[in-house]
Amino acid sequence: MRAVSVMTPLIAAMLGLTCTTDSLARDRVLQVVGPWEITGIDPIRAGYVFGRMGVAETLVTVDGDGNPIPALAESWSVSDDRLVWRFALRPAARFHDGTPVTAEAAVAALEKARSGAGVLSRTPIAEITAEGSDVVIRTATPFAPLPAFLANYTSIVLAPASWNGEGKVAGIVGSGPYRVSGLTPPLRLDVERFDGWWGGSPKVGQARYLSVPRGETRALMAESGEADLAFALLPAHMDRLRRNPRVDVRVVPIPRTRMLKVNAGSVFFDQVEERRALSLTLDRAGMATAILRNPANAAGQLLPPSMAEWHVHDLPPLRRDTAEAKRLLAAAGWKAGQDGILVSPDGERFSVQLRTFTNWPELPLMATAMQAQLREVGIELDVAVGNSSEIPAGHRDGSLQMGLASRNFSLVPDPLGTLLEDYGPDGGEWGAMNWSDPALTKTLEALKTTFDPAERAPLRARVSEIIQTELPVIPIAWFELGVAVNKRLGSVTIDPFEISYHLADLTWADAEAP
Amino acid sequence: MAISIQRQTGRLLAGRAMQAVTVAGLVGVLSFALVRMLPGDMALRIAASRYGPDLLSGTAADDVRAELGLDQPLALQLADWLGRLVRFDLGNSLVSGQPVIDELAVQLGYSLWLAGFALALSVAMAVPIGLIAGLSAGRWPDRAALTGAILLRALPAFVTGLCLIILFSVWLGWLPPAGFGTWRELTLPALTLALGLAALSSRVVRDSMVAVAASPYFAFARVKGLPERTVVMRHGLRNGAIPVVSLLGLQLIYLVEGVVVVESLFAYPGIGHALVHAIFARDVPMIQGTALVMGLVFVAVNMLVDLACAALDPRQAAR
Amino acid sequence: MTKTKTMTFTFSRRRAAGAALIGALALFGTLGPAVIAADPAQQDLLAPLAPPGGDYLLGTDHYGRSLLARLAHATRLSLGLAVLTVLSAAIPGTLLGIAAAWAGGIADRALGIVSDMILALPGLLLVLLLAAFAPGQFLPLYLGLALAQWVEYFRVTRATARTLLSRPHVEASRLLGFGPGYIARRLILPELAPVLATLMAFNMGTAVLAISTLSFIGVGLHPPTAEWGSMATELLPYYFEAPFHVLMPAAMILLTVLGFHLLAGEDRS
Repeated sequence: MRAVSVMTPLIAAMLGLTCTTDSLARDRVLQVVGPWEITGIDPIRAGYVFGRMGVAETLVTVDGDGNPIPALAESWSVSDDRLVWRFALRPAARFHDGTPVTAEAAVAALEKARSGAGVLSRTPIAEITAEGSDVVIRTATPFAPLPAFLANYTSIVLAPASWNGEGKVAGIVGSGPYRVSGLTPPLRLDVERFDGWWGGSPKVGQARYLSVPRGETRALMAESGEADLAFALLPAHMDRLRRNPRVDVRVVPIPRTRMLKVNAGSVFFDQVEERRALSLTLDRAGMATAILRNPANAAGQLLPPSMAEWHVHDLPPLRRDTAEAKRLLAAAGWKAGQDGILVSPDGERFSVQLRTFTNWPELPLMATAMQAQLREVGIELDVAVGNSSEIPAGHRDGSLQMGLASRNFSLVPDPLGTLLEDYGPDGGEWGAMNWSDPALTKTLEALKTTFDPAERAPLRARVSEIIQTELPVIPIAWFELGVAVNKRLGSVTIDPFEISYHLADLTWADAEAP
Repeated sequence: MAISIQRQTGRLLAGRAMQAVTVAGLVGVLSFALVRMLPGDMALRIAASRYGPDLLSGTAADDVRAELGLDQPLALQLADWLGRLVRFDLGNSLVSGQPVIDELAVQLGYSLWLAGFALALSVAMAVPIGLIAGLSAGRWPDRAALTGAILLRALPAFVTGLCLIILFSVWLGWLPPAGFGTWRELTLPALTLALGLAALSSRVVRDSMVAVAASPYFAFARVKGLPERTVVMRHGLRNGAIPVVSLLGLQLIYLVEGVVVVESLFAYPGIGHALVHAIFARDVPMIQGTALVMGLVFVAVNMLVDLACAALDPRQAAR
Repeated sequence: MTKTKTMTFTFSRRRAAGAALIGALALFGTLGPAVIAADPAQQDLLAPLAPPGGDYLLGTDHYGRSLLARLAHATRLSLGLAVLTVLSAAIPGTLLGIAAAWAGGIADRALGIVSDMILALPGLLLVLLLAAFAPGQFLPLYLGLALAQWVEYFRVTRATARTLLSRPHVEASRLLGFGPGYIARRLILPELAPVLATLMAFNMGTAVLAISTLSFIGVGLHPPTAEWGSMATELLPYYFEAPFHVLMPAAMILLTVLGFHLLAGEDRS
């Protein structure tokens, strides 16, 4: 029995030998490559790939600017007391097994999402019920960013047939324009057109997502024409790909920031002067030029300009001034020791450990660059490249001194979701550590319950300003998503929120397409 | 005589079976113990691998801890694994939640397929090169083969692989640089491995060819007037095969674990890739499973080599 | 024909070339870090990937660090680690092999079983697990490699020592009351020396490759430590802009392994 299952891929591969070359010619498969592995099949682990590949849908999604727009829910409304949300489902929506997308099915899926580690578990939702063809969500307190939380991939709506008797996900039966035709975790997902989609029939018949962890290999896939869409190109490869006549390189700023998390409870960073000195020491422009190949990515404040509603244009940008940094450190009581490393009045050497990880290949590079920069003002940095869990672990047990991470502000496409988690009164695993500010807490709470856009704008600006002056974290560089698009593809849109690849809109630009 | 060979074979199989059982126990206990001794919060690590850094939070880790019973006594958890092993149940991966056996079946399948293809390619390259080098020992074809072999051995696999990608994917556009499933994707990673293997095995073929060519029976066959080709095929190959078969066994073992680099470069799913990820993620059942499978493959390959050598040369089996 | 060759460590032209190559590399690794003024960790972000020539003899890497200085430091590290690993594997392996052959009986069987076990454990598992204890540190890499390699010496020594011990002149010395130390030193080690030398030279090459490979899969040493494998891996994204820069550390690996293989000779099989 087991021997048979070992043989299966062998047999499949042998069959592949004989038939794939034929079928390739007949029906072209759109190939998408990205670095992200498919670590399982349930929504919380791999929902992102089912969402991006158009297999599963959420009630709500967002447009290119992050505004909520209808998806499975055709429209929605919120009650006057702002506690009851009513989402009207599309009557035409069908799951891939042919069953209609009913409110009961959606409620069941959302309840599963809420009970797990997904983003819905972090909302004040009190109850989710089905009323006719409406999904009704009641929250315990007014919660303005709810639609954004519903747009996250962990909130996808799957058919009841997706779960087995024990309540585990056994297969993905979604409602999107494509259905799963093959899944080999952790590396590959094959999808084919689903003709029953409410939005019409997609033009590209088959697509495949392939996880390719190494950046060089992704670039070569794009360069050789094997990949139609190659995501997360390394900056070093973009220039070369731009010269390739077959490939179009798109660079999209995404709401993500690389930043230093500092332990504001430690003797090194407890004073705001020390954090400012740290910030003044860093050569953001140098790192952005040398490592990211784009000086515009040097972060002048936490949130990038592409997040127009949060980015404050007239805020003076963070800059480099090592003389000023030295002055601030001296004012905070640090004096140069025998070996050039600063020493506190209590005799503590300014020698700190910086933890970072390799999920984003530029992080260890930046850490190494900062190591050299901080040495100039007498700060010794021990760079420990490990696993991403070591930063939250250090936050929890208090052992973290500094951590270099890349924080996503669009996991929930409204940054408020991330900010609430990171800069609340107790800090956050990926945000402030042993630092809080009553004014910031109050502003964030106000944003949670304020529904009027005109009232929200000044509150958002206030958040950015407080973080900029207090520097609970040190922003380093903004983020760009580099994508290589094969020119035989038409109508390509790159979603800065990384929710969808918009496969259903794509066309083959050349005539001989199937 | 025939009976004694059978008995020999039986004893050999029993010995290997015993080895398999001990390997299984040892691998399980050792990987469990080592992983649990590792520093860091295991639940957070698992959560990081499951959900990715963006979604990682302390609450998610607490859920993982509760779900997996990581706070139970260690002895209980180990006894649980051993108890299930006896029933051929390797448990579920802590990261993907899928049964370990299913994941291994897929990954081992792809690894074996890659290893087999690489081995076949290396033999296809090594045997003719080795024969030619052996028959022209000391002359320029021999020297050229030697130089090539040494250079290939000394090149790190990721450099060889990258050169092959640039040549075959970018310049010639014949083969894809990554992926899996058909022979097109299989060729480049297999070739990368095969070049390294052929470098060594062509020398072994060459050496045994030289030894055979110098032996009295080979000279006798020539004296009998058999044509060169027949001499080589009938006497040279069979006698020269024994060291080559032993070497193939060794190489297969090297392949199953040595493929990590190639798997990583070419985005090919396999057991080496699985092991590295499992260790990063502290996924104990997957570590135990992959290590177990690797250990058992080792035992099985050794057994096949023993049997093959015994079949090629019955005198050896009697020793 | 091959018999006589394995028994004496002949200094062929090939071996001389290998020795010269390794000697040159060792010189670069020992003197280089002292002679070269540039700091291997000093960055110049405004001058990344400078071509060879110019201010820096071999150019700079992607941080603008001197490649020459980094290569020299990496040479010292890799050669040092290789020598240390091989010695730590060869000495206990050989001693245990002789002891097992001498003692025979249960001790021999027990050691045999242990070595079988370690052989069946994937070497990679051992190194990865040890590396997980102290990521980026030197010690686990060294321990893991040594642990995976000692078995080979043990097996070779045990097999050879067993045959040697049954030879008449050795048995006679044993009967005459010469102790194990004397017999090992005077009668066994001289016979083993050529095989061991070959094995050690070969394993140095393996160790150098293993260290660089581990760096490639992300189990290397802490930055800013210069190591050939991590240098090649870090520079890999720039393979088209600066192919020469990627090739340099790769060439160092190639030359070192080549040198050790030439030194090991062709007798290993």
